[in-house]
Amino acid sequence: MRPLTLPRLLLRCSILAALLFVVVVIALKLGAVQVSLYGLGRDLIHVLLGQSSAISSDYGMIVVDIRLPRILLGIVVGASLSVAGASFQALLRNPLADPYVLGVSSGAAVGAILALIVESHLDLTPELAGLITPLGAFLGAAITIAAVYLLGRRDGQIDSSTLLLGGIITASFLSAVIIFLMSTLRGSNLRGTVFWLMGDLSTPQPRSLLYFLLFGFLVAAGVIYTTASDLNLLLAGENEAMHLGVDVPRVRIVVYLAASILTGMAVSVSGAIGYVGLLVPHLMRLIFGSDHRMLLPASALGGAIVLVIADTLARTVVAPSELSVGAVTALVGAPLFIYLLRRRLA
Amino acid sequence: MQRFYSTLIRLAAVTVAVLFLLSLELSGQAVAPAPLVPTQPATREIVDEVGRTIRIPVSPSRIVSLAPSLTETVYALRLQDHLVGDTDYCDYPPEAKKKPKVGGAINPSLEEIAALHPDLVLVTKSLNRLDTVRALDNLGIPSYATDPHTVDEIISSTSKLAEVLGAPEAGKSLAAELRNHLAVLQAKLASVPPQRVLFIVWTEPLISVGKNTFIADALGKAGAISIVDSSQDWPQMSLEEVVHLQPEYLVFASSHSEAAARDFDTLANRPGWRILDAVHNRHYAVISDAVNRPAPRIVSAIEELARQLHPAVFQEVPQPMEKELPAGATKPPSASPAFSLSLQDGCKGSTESSCAR
Repeated sequence: MRPLTLPRLLLRCSILAALLFVVVVIALKLGAVQVSLYGLGRDLIHVLLGQSSAISSDYGMIVVDIRLPRILLGIVVGASLSVAGASFQALLRNPLADPYVLGVSSGAAVGAILALIVESHLDLTPELAGLITPLGAFLGAAITIAAVYLLGRRDGQIDSSTLLLGGIITASFLSAVIIFLMSTLRGSNLRGTVFWLMGDLSTPQPRSLLYFLLFGFLVAAGVIYTTASDLNLLLAGENEAMHLGVDVPRVRIVVYLAASILTGMAVSVSGAIGYVGLLVPHLMRLIFGSDHRMLLPASALGGAIVLVIADTLARTVVAPSELSVGAVTALVGAPLFIYLLRRRLA
Repeated sequence: MQRFYSTLIRLAAVTVAVLFLLSLELSGQAVAPAPLVPTQPATREIVDEVGRTIRIPVSPSRIVSLAPSLTETVYALRLQDHLVGDTDYCDYPPEAKKKPKVGGAINPSLEEIAALHPDLVLVTKSLNRLDTVRALDNLGIPSYATDPHTVDEIISSTSKLAEVLGAPEAGKSLAAELRNHLAVLQAKLASVPPQRVLFIVWTEPLISVGKNTFIADALGKAGAISIVDSSQDWPQMSLEEVVHLQPEYLVFASSHSEAAARDFDTLANRPGWRILDAVHNRHYAVISDAVNRPAPRIVSAIEELARQLHPAVFQEVPQPMEKELPAGATKPPSASPAFSLSLQDGCKGSTESSCAR
């Protein structure tokens, strides 16, 4: 294996970025409403020039106001989930680690449902009310992360298997809480929650929230990237890493917190989208090797590509109805995961 | 390694700067959104049934309905020419199936809705998602929400909707017709005690309706009383509870009576269900699934149920022409009601198995 040099890293990342761009253009074209490639190109140029008022086409609103924000959301969520998955896998030195296994999504769901209950008792403006669910989901995710973190501690240190077990138990406990809440409460908003639980990008988020997510992603992913070489050393084993001068407890806390924030943000706007955080890092490791300096950006771009493709399928397969994107990722992801698992064993 | 990182940090800084500029560009564009519809000259402000103030055209001409009940109501008001889109589940009247579809009620495609350029989207609180309404708000498409909880509210909601859609006379006459129909029915049923029924929404698991639903209210108007006293809208019932409450009739809502008969057999063949009087006597009523929709058609479903639960009251005049008869003219004949009365007397307040015949 040739050593990773900066030009090689950049070359690979630009190939992935180009692929992402192609996927985005295709995703912009496909949908319930037909859009011509020419009209799309003209519209995109107008948007890039900042003259959206010049968009004359009949479907300008559909492409710019409905499809584009949704695709951008898919990019941020996909990248966040994949980077979080890659980090958890490195941190726990367990290829099964994934944001969902650690109970984060169930915690977010409980938070979202509680937020809906609280919201119905408050008299809020529509703008504020729209932010209540993501906020509740994020708090739910954060509290769950803290709880699982405390459960996973042993003698002041994080123990991988205890943490995983704690996460699984917390997830199943919280799922039971969700079922309890859903069967005791009335109200039509809970109907939306069911949809949300399956993972859903169809709800347009306020633009400000999108920027906040993008900013949060860049910060958290940047923080994780500073520990990339430490994570490489961690692969050899914790004691080995410590002997090589890695401050293992610090790396653990920093990466765990940053990855959890990424997960919490993603779940709060998109619900439970499984398999992206689990599979994309695996695929990227197969293609690019397990050097985290390469793996982390590759996972971010790969996760974005995969989720945009999955969401495009969710929008188009049963058009004009919509499939939940979580169903698409699970339908494709589960068999693929089994295939990779068998291949590795063989 | 050191050089690798310092170069990388410089590159990252440049990327962040570019992204920042790009985001400014995008946010600048958000300030001036493309207008959705050419601004209508004549608009007015109204308050919908969930208390939102919305601005709509005086007489909306491009309506999208996101609920089967609303589609039915639009047709009942004869405004179907203004309906430019509805959902996959809008199947009544049959012509509604031919309207352009925008997907399901819970997961409609915003793209399809926007492509139809509606000047008003109709939603109902009990079925549609809040997220959908918010998304429409963001796109500048006005939406009007209905929220009826009783049969009377369904009727008043219908006439209110007629006003919103610019056809107040059609609404008034439809509401008067429906109220009259109900009044005739109530007069007929005034003399008979209500039948205690279990309304079955779903058999596996057994789901019924709560007391706060319009369906429970409709049952009441049909001379029936739901045995379920739950504040949940769609409570899941246990067999124990049903046996304890001993309904006289099981009520199914279905567009196919064979399907309902099959559902009844499913329940009857389950262990334990034989001890129910209603199962033992094959006391079940099948009515149109219109009862499940808060739309004008619910009134005829109510009459359908009343006819099956209280056949004696309707016996004197074979055709449904008895509207003209004075209420007192239809005294219940003795035979069948006496049976149902004695049954009720014997079992009232008692849950012993001696009641099971």
